[in-house]
Amino acid sequence: MEYQNSKIPEGINVSSEHPLKNFIYLLLGVSGAIIAVLLVLFYTIGFIAKWVPFEAEVKWAESISASFNESGDDTQNGLLDALGLPTTDKNLDGLDEQYTLRVQKITLYLQDLANKLALAQELPEPITITVHYIDQPLVNAFATLGGHVFIYQGLIDAVESENGLAMVIAHEIAHVKNRHPIVALSRGLGLGVILSLVTGVGGDSLSTSLAGHVNLLTSLAFSRGQETESDIEAYNTLLKYYGHGLGATELFSQLVKAGQETSLPEILNSHPLSQKRIERLEKLGQSTITDCSYASFNCSLTPLPEFLLND
Amino acid sequence: MYDLIILFVLLSLGYVFGQIAEKRHFRSIIKRESEYQSILTFAKRFPLNNDGEQRAELVGGNVVISVDYFKRFVAALRNLVGGRVTAYESLLERARREALLRMKAEARKKGLNTIVNVKLETASITKGNKNQVGAVEVYAYGTGLLSNH
Repeated sequence: MEYQNSKIPEGINVSSEHPLKNFIYLLLGVSGAIIAVLLVLFYTIGFIAKWVPFEAEVKWAESISASFNESGDDTQNGLLDALGLPTTDKNLDGLDEQYTLRVQKITLYLQDLANKLALAQELPEPITITVHYIDQPLVNAFATLGGHVFIYQGLIDAVESENGLAMVIAHEIAHVKNRHPIVALSRGLGLGVILSLVTGVGGDSLSTSLAGHVNLLTSLAFSRGQETESDIEAYNTLLKYYGHGLGATELFSQLVKAGQETSLPEILNSHPLSQKRIERLEKLGQSTITDCSYASFNCSLTPLPEFLLND
Repeated sequence: MYDLIILFVLLSLGYVFGQIAEKRHFRSIIKRESEYQSILTFAKRFPLNNDGEQRAELVGGNVVISVDYFKRFVAALRNLVGGRVTAYESLLERARREALLRMKAEARKKGLNTIVNVKLETASITKGNKNQVGAVEVYAYGTGLLSNH
């Protein structure tokens, strides 16, 4: 009897499909699914986080601050640390007494202005604003978890009147009022968990990567929509408080003039471009009464108090 | 961003060199299979005509083939959704056929023309090690005989 091994036909075990085609289908399918999950999560968290009681938010802010600040009683520096910003020198003994008095005076003035603006903005009951004045030349102001609002000397120098300063403070109050910091933080944490699950960072390093996320998000995570929302709210607050909207665009004009804009297109930027913000506010001004003949108050810019100006 | 660039470079390296290696390997396998066609292999335990004295010796062929980065990435994606892992199918096909060929080559070197009781063992090298591109080993072995069929 004659035996033979016949030739094995090709293409039974090996698929003839092009490997790249397979790869692209898989990649699109999987990333599409991940993005869909993230989007659903993003909006769900955004919706839920608004209902977290403000007291819980304050406690959260304190615990974050305490984890960065060993003594735990210096919320201001703890939060600055958590955000990766330079802290202030709180060692009062080493400082000029006059300087300390000045910082206290400015903080009191800013806190007072913020309280009045919060009243005009009808800030709901449990929410309180704590203003921190930072004597650094950075042109910056931000609101973060627990109603803490930071105002930098650089920003005070950049505006020309109290109205301009009030616009910025009202804008930050609006962030707190609309719960933007806690929404941003919750979103960042939620997405961080999902991403670390997907990329397999999980396990022991999960908590470390979460701690890392806390940094990133509170500093830059307000969306452009939230910024615009706060701009409009702040403008309305200004109308209510001063009776007119003059000075609202002061800071933005200053930023445009100083060329402090990134050249990134608006869509890649977390903040709307200053020029766009000015235009939006001016459009808003046309639809509300800014004509001074209608204003019940004295229709002029309120100057900044002398002691605010850096000499 | 840098991670993405590194990933892209690794994927392209894996794809280009992996594909070149695979195509070349398949061409060589097909060519050598026809060369060794005359050596018959059987899964049966005993020779077909078991008469008279026959020389019998163990013959075997062993091959280790590494997974390239591209295949590993595609397989990881496939793990999420399920289905045929075609990237690995071709890899194992190469390994099995290469191992059989090496076994036949050994038989020819020993002057044998038939192999019975052919078996295949497959093992994964670097099993369980994370972040390491794996490799697959296939060992083919059997009883080589000098037979007049």
